[in-house]
Amino acid sequence: MIVLGFFLTAPMGIGYMEHKVLAHMQHRLGPMEAGGFHGWAQLVADGVKFIQKEDIIPKAADSWVFTLAPAVVMVPYIAIFAVIPFGRTLWAENLDIGIFYVLAITAISVIGILMAGWASANKFSLIGALRAAAQLIAYELPLILASVAVVMQAGTLSLVGISEAQHHYWYIFTQPVGFFIFIVASLAELTRPPFDMPIADSEIIFGAYTEYTGLKFAFFLLAEYGGIVAFSAIASVLFLGGYQGIPVIGHLIPGFFWMSGKVGALAFFIIWLRATYPRLREDQLQRFAWVALIPLALADIMVTGVVKVLVK
Amino acid sequence: MSVQEITFVIIAVIGGVSAVRMVTSRNVVHAALYLVVTLAMVGAVYLVVAAEFLAWVQVLIYVGAIVVLLLFSLMLTKAPIGRDTLDNQQRGLAALVGMGVLAGLAFLIQDSFGGSKPITLHQATTEQVGVTLFRGFVWPFEVVSVLLLAALVGAVVIARKDDPAGSRRGPDRRAPLRRGSEATRR
Amino acid sequence: MATIQPLREETMIINMGPQHPSTHGVLRLVLELDGEYVVSCRPVLGYLHTGIEKNTEYRTWQQGVTFVTRADYLSPFFNELGYCLAVERLLGIEAPPRAQVIRVMTNELTRIASHLLWLATTGLELGAISIMLYAWREREVILRIFEMITGLRMNHAYIRVGGVVMDLPEGASEQVRDFLDVMPGRLHEYEELLTGNPIWRQRTEGVGHVPGDELVALGVTGPMLRAAGIDWDLRKQLPYCGYETYDFDVPLRTAGDCFARYEVRIEEIRQSLRIVEQCLDRLEPGPVMVEDPKLRWPAELSVGPDGIGNSERYVRHIMEESMEALINHFKIVTQGFQVPAGEVYQAVESPRGELGYYVVSNGGNRPYRMHIRGPSFVNLQATPRMVEGGLVADVVASVASIDPVMGDADR
Repeated sequence: MIVLGFFLTAPMGIGYMEHKVLAHMQHRLGPMEAGGFHGWAQLVADGVKFIQKEDIIPKAADSWVFTLAPAVVMVPYIAIFAVIPFGRTLWAENLDIGIFYVLAITAISVIGILMAGWASANKFSLIGALRAAAQLIAYELPLILASVAVVMQAGTLSLVGISEAQHHYWYIFTQPVGFFIFIVASLAELTRPPFDMPIADSEIIFGAYTEYTGLKFAFFLLAEYGGIVAFSAIASVLFLGGYQGIPVIGHLIPGFFWMSGKVGALAFFIIWLRATYPRLREDQLQRFAWVALIPLALADIMVTGVVKVLVK
Repeated sequence: MSVQEITFVIIAVIGGVSAVRMVTSRNVVHAALYLVVTLAMVGAVYLVVAAEFLAWVQVLIYVGAIVVLLLFSLMLTKAPIGRDTLDNQQRGLAALVGMGVLAGLAFLIQDSFGGSKPITLHQATTEQVGVTLFRGFVWPFEVVSVLLLAALVGAVVIARKDDPAGSRRGPDRRAPLRRGSEATRR
Repeated sequence: MATIQPLREETMIINMGPQHPSTHGVLRLVLELDGEYVVSCRPVLGYLHTGIEKNTEYRTWQQGVTFVTRADYLSPFFNELGYCLAVERLLGIEAPPRAQVIRVMTNELTRIASHLLWLATTGLELGAISIMLYAWREREVILRIFEMITGLRMNHAYIRVGGVVMDLPEGASEQVRDFLDVMPGRLHEYEELLTGNPIWRQRTEGVGHVPGDELVALGVTGPMLRAAGIDWDLRKQLPYCGYETYDFDVPLRTAGDCFARYEVRIEEIRQSLRIVEQCLDRLEPGPVMVEDPKLRWPAELSVGPDGIGNSERYVRHIMEESMEALINHFKIVTQGFQVPAGEVYQAVESPRGELGYYVVSNGGNRPYRMHIRGPSFVNLQATPRMVEGGLVADVVASVASIDPVMGDADR
């Protein structure tokens, strides 16, 4: 229940943050009206709007696949939150193989996107879905490989264990390459700019989500922002010490706030990239994954392994 | 029946029904989606018997990668969009192969576990899996990786076009200027 | 093994447009796709046909201005100028010097606004959303200046046959000067954001490449041609409005791809800023319309808080003081003036290329025939040449680099 509640509120925080951060980076104000103070209730208003909208299922669409797709995309992200530790004792589930579980679960949402794109009976949707599938397959590898290096250093797959292992220093200092690979691959997994070709609005309208309206569309959006929170949280746990504070004053502030701060900072970074970079092209994206990221990640694993053996 | 057994029955029923629906479905993408459910239920069975690691491997590899690739290639080769159907006339042969596989597996399982006492479950930690894999089965592991590598190289060789420059773009390697094929002239 | 059949024989046909986020209004591209590759492309035009050319045949010469200004709605002053220069050549008159300077200044400001809008939309289409708002912000400043001068943000009908309809209001040149102070810094910001950006370069370099000789064969003009290394700018080659006396360079690049077009346009903004600055220095007091009462628009207009209006003094003059003035006003406003029979082609260098006006008169008070050579229409011919063999994403980049305005193409 708490997990679900968190899943429904945190993405809204990130969504509001995106509105405001992007606006100020672009010399705008962003939402100012809803709720009075700096438009804080904008996302609530958006939610109400989505609920009121007509739920359209195209005539040619495969209606039950079409209806099921948003849920298939969204549920995995809810499931991720179950294992993320927000404090030494603040977690819903401490799985022995936490990180592995997370990576396995995120792979499911691709199927949802493919379902959405195919069931919409729209060529643009289909192209978008195919782009998404190709991209997510390509970037899952570096994502897993980058995590493997961390797991090797920590000696455990449990997310709580990995956080605990970073008591003395954060892994971003020992695994900077891994951190870079993980963040880039996460962006691609989330189809966030500069890797947003699956929804490239100027080319293929809105990709797999073109035909969606109302609440179903809102689910996709929720999944996207939930995904930002989830991947920021995983990256925080793997590389930034999770709920561990910085050494001297760390214990003064509870772990929950450390964790939230780190997630917020990473989400800010992800939004920042959107304001800065244009969109890559499909072939460039694939080349980047296979030619740059995967060899780099493999080399990272090798170096980590060698160092680990030598240190022992 | 214990809770575990009830759970198993539920999972088995869902998985079995999906499997049947998969082969009877006339829509090839629906079939693939039923396959997802079936494979996920196999993963759930692993969870029930406390093979946690294996369960998530099942999800990651089969659901996350193989079915996605399957769907991907189905859609790329123009699976009929929407409600259209697709069917082939190989039912007899398919039934024969299916029955053969079922008989083979049934015989194997009966042969290995048939006479023995019920196996007691114990939670296998990832550590134990790792130790077994890299101590006891390191040679098979390496052989499999070489096999996969060979398959990978083979796939690259087949997929590679005769003219490697054709797939890469550049101002001087462009496709010749065409006046539009039959399709767009219509 | 010698003949392995290609895996994918089937191609997919998609309609990009006329309702599509990045086809600049209502351009429709019928694309035949093999996966992500474009096999063939066929542009379909005409969705924004408004009959401007035909309409002018039923209006007086002066009224024609209000039609042509709506053709290329992103650079209205160029349309007005091209039309007015053509009619003036038929009449054998020339606008007074101050009017010429104002014409050059408004034109160059329009060029900046148009290129900024190009930068904004192209950035958006390639996914660089911030540049959109930055460029829009600066364009807004220019539009404010236009509103101050002409009373309207677009479709000004400000340049008229024989000069311009009214003089610059007080404070206009100061506003232009303020803009000139701000703009170079902002241009530098854009270049910092885009020119060195690796993704921006990857998306534009080598994309939509067409060599110069093919561009000439296709009749392409403007920044696209200059980005392929061909030095053709009507302001230098066939000067009008005294452009030969201004000091500016014609930026050239040789790559002929989208990035070169981007560089050329950015540099053209710089050169236009130089020209505007020279215009401000040249603004001498004087008439802004020819003196001939049989030609000049009989009014004293100015922009007030509630729009353009006639001065009270002039209204009193025609209503109370002078019967002859009233008759003259009535004649010119309702009948207009007559233009000697003949035909003329006058081209100006619009932000998109050669914008030509072919005007035929049979000696009456209306054009016998008027034709616009819209650069967008001609440049769009290069689309299939640029996109066939490329990727879908490159279609967007290539079409954006043409900078088509469908109002100009379809008229």
